[in-house]
Amino acid sequence: MRRTYRFYAQLGFTLLVCSFLIVPVIMSVMAGVTENFFKGISSGVTLRWVVEVWDLYADTIFLSLVIAIACLACTIVLGIPAAYVLSKRQGRVARMIEELLTLPLAIPGLAIALALIITYGGFRDFRSSWVFILVGHVLYTLPFMMRSVLAVLSTADFRSLEEGAASVGAGFWRRFFDIVIPNCRSGIVAGALMVVTLSVGEFNITWMMHTPETKTLPVGLADSYASMRLEIGSAYTVVFLIMIIPLLVALQLYGQPKKKQAEHFDDLENLQSSTAKSGHMRSRS
Amino acid sequence: MKSGTLRAVLMAIGMLVLATVAGRASAADAICYNCPPQWADWASQLKEIKKNLGLDIPHDNKNSGQTLSQLLAEKDNPVADVAYYGVSFGIAAKNEGVVEAYKPANWDDIPDGLKDPDGHWFTIHSGALGLFVNVEALEGAPVPTSWQDLLKPEYKGMVGYLDPSSAFVGYAGAVAINRALGGTLDDFTPAINYFKELAKNDPIVPKQTSYARVLSGEIPILFDYDFNAYRGKYKDKANVEFVIPQEGTVVVPYVMSLVKNSPHPDLGKKILDFIMSDTGQAVWANAFLRPVRASAMSAEAQSKFLPASEYARATPVDYGRMAEVQKGFGERYLNEVR
Amino acid sequence: MEKRELPFLVVLALPVLAVTLAFFLLPLVRLTVIAGSGVDGLSAYTAVITTPRYLESLFATTVLSAAVTVVTLAISAVAGVFLERNRFAGRNVLISMLTFPLAFPGVVIGFMVIMLAGRQGLIGEITKFLTGDKLVFAYSMAGLFVGYVYFSIPRVILTIMAAAEKLEPALEEAARSLGASPWRVTRDVILPALKPAFIASGAIAFATAMGAFGTAFTLATNIDVLPMVIYTEFTLRANIAMAAALSIVLGIITWLVLNVARSLAGSTVAAAG
Repeated sequence: MRRTYRFYAQLGFTLLVCSFLIVPVIMSVMAGVTENFFKGISSGVTLRWVVEVWDLYADTIFLSLVIAIACLACTIVLGIPAAYVLSKRQGRVARMIEELLTLPLAIPGLAIALALIITYGGFRDFRSSWVFILVGHVLYTLPFMMRSVLAVLSTADFRSLEEGAASVGAGFWRRFFDIVIPNCRSGIVAGALMVVTLSVGEFNITWMMHTPETKTLPVGLADSYASMRLEIGSAYTVVFLIMIIPLLVALQLYGQPKKKQAEHFDDLENLQSSTAKSGHMRSRS
Repeated sequence: MKSGTLRAVLMAIGMLVLATVAGRASAADAICYNCPPQWADWASQLKEIKKNLGLDIPHDNKNSGQTLSQLLAEKDNPVADVAYYGVSFGIAAKNEGVVEAYKPANWDDIPDGLKDPDGHWFTIHSGALGLFVNVEALEGAPVPTSWQDLLKPEYKGMVGYLDPSSAFVGYAGAVAINRALGGTLDDFTPAINYFKELAKNDPIVPKQTSYARVLSGEIPILFDYDFNAYRGKYKDKANVEFVIPQEGTVVVPYVMSLVKNSPHPDLGKKILDFIMSDTGQAVWANAFLRPVRASAMSAEAQSKFLPASEYARATPVDYGRMAEVQKGFGERYLNEVR
Repeated sequence: MEKRELPFLVVLALPVLAVTLAFFLLPLVRLTVIAGSGVDGLSAYTAVITTPRYLESLFATTVLSAAVTVVTLAISAVAGVFLERNRFAGRNVLISMLTFPLAFPGVVIGFMVIMLAGRQGLIGEITKFLTGDKLVFAYSMAGLFVGYVYFSIPRVILTIMAAAEKLEPALEEAARSLGASPWRVTRDVILPALKPAFIASGAIAFATAMGAFGTAFTLATNIDVLPMVIYTEFTLRANIAMAAALSIVLGIITWLVLNVARSLAGSTVAAAG
């Protein structure tokens, strides 16, 4: 295939955009491992800033991970059922619910944080615990998990699968746990990676809601850029990148899922045989 | 239930439990609002408190304005035990009723003008406001010596000052400039005009402490305190200078209060007592602040300051009045200088 | 089947509805009430229009967000369609690089803008070398614009690439065989087909830009985007009522834009990733 002029022009443009996004990151990483930023790389490469960051901020890194994992658990438990309900019902009520659940994306993070502080700030134990921040994160990331799962549930493949299961006589809960959940695995994984990535990097909501004891990584990052040497802030960014890059790579790999047709039918067959084994043909519920 | 799904559900629950258990990590013993590690070397002070009192206090990077706001927002159920902020915010906190009267150890050593008669706030140390200059980043321009100097085109894009409507040091700078240029606490017009003029010189206006940016050369000239400049010069060995402008400037006390209805009032009192003790005050002296108890300043620390002749130009103001007019000035600044 | 399923569906939906009610709806209602019960009363809401400072900020924020959205869509369309259509060595690397900044908090982006365009930034050094005059724009609206585009591109480009994948090559073939130039093929076949994706991702980008705080916080000079104003109100003696009112107004405007987008694009907005 002959590469046309247009191809190279577009390639050049794309490369320019990529460098716009990546060059500052590289500069930041370099600043984090340089002895003295003002003098530049000639002053030597060192890991002492990274070590100092670890000394000062290890607990923020840990807390961010804890919150991200908890956020994931919550969005799974809350979001998957919600997506299923929305895929089954098309009426006005369902659309209103969907609107409500995606509203946190439209309301600025500051407003959500302010609202939570005003309403629940009085409960001191709740206010000073990390669960307070978790609530904000869940509200913000839930729509992403929901959307991701809903996208898979809305495909034609899926509908026929479910109808197949129903025609075999599987009950509601059976269908939900044995067909629905395993088959939207790709949507769950994509959503999960999105949720964790967004939670680790969340700043707007967390900045307002945090207390000195519940600082997350982005909050600590803002702190360090403000009051520490630039090298420390940059080193902190390096640590952040080390945490986030595996997640982003995974997001990219799993982001375009295409489960094979054969695997879908495996699930259906298993269901058929287990229904037959248990003997009763439960009426469709 | 299919085993795969069961496993997934169990994993989700397991994660949640793990997260909850892990989250109960080291809890702090007491909370201080606005105790940032690098400002006034609170890092060392908190270490001393840990060593002498055995109390774990986490760093907190709010500025004075944010501290007061949080105290007000959390009025019904405070999170902090003690608060540290600029004097006018301390006075405001007393007026809003979020702090408690407490007279710490060595109360009598504090001069009258630097404490609330009942102990709602009291000075722990003070600094002088001036120009924190990164000499190398000036790219050959001479080190400025006055407020008016900064309006010159050779310093275009080089001057930074903290937002006077949000940070106390920003407001202190405004008060200093105002008085130096002939204004009074009742009339901030000289200061407003100055900032408007300065706006033509492309200033940088951060909302929080920007020590790092001065050292990196991003902000070559910052309106800041002498102790930050000395820290840069002696601790981080940077080529920086502190300048007390020719027209004069102010000396600014920083105060602490015991928060009302705090979670750990007894610990709060202990902390405040310690900060007023010889050990506590000495930490400030080593960080180039003037401890309120002059006896704590060693000759060695004194030698690192600019000579007394320079400091003659740095004088106090009526801090009570300064507190009263702060809000009005903030509004005026936001409306007229943008 | 539908009627019989309803009770089960309700059971499934209960947890998420309970959480949303308790932690989202209720606080928002309280926020609305608090906004109207401050010193200014209900006029706090109209203060957005009546106070010049707030109105200018709202205007600046909206214009900035709109400009960022348009530019991001343009950039992402070119790069996204190109990457989707062509296979070459290193393609996956480029895709990763473009989606990489998705996780960055605004603070980091702000500091990267300073590294690019601050007093000691890369662009300053380059322009000084080329023209003798240092170009510094990190602390102006231009710097904020660059920062916003930076975090918007990853969000938009994924959607556009997904939509580009679904384009039917048959339509383009037909157009070309009828003699249309590449530009006309793009304008009349490709762009209209991508319209739903543009609207969907553009709406999200707009909403994110309107509410963005971290970047402006770091670059904060005299830049007055509305989230910064809200933050200042909150820290300026905890003027919670005004901060709340401004937040509500900002939320309503953003929500209206998203709604308009949804009605333009149809239900594809809902399921788009």
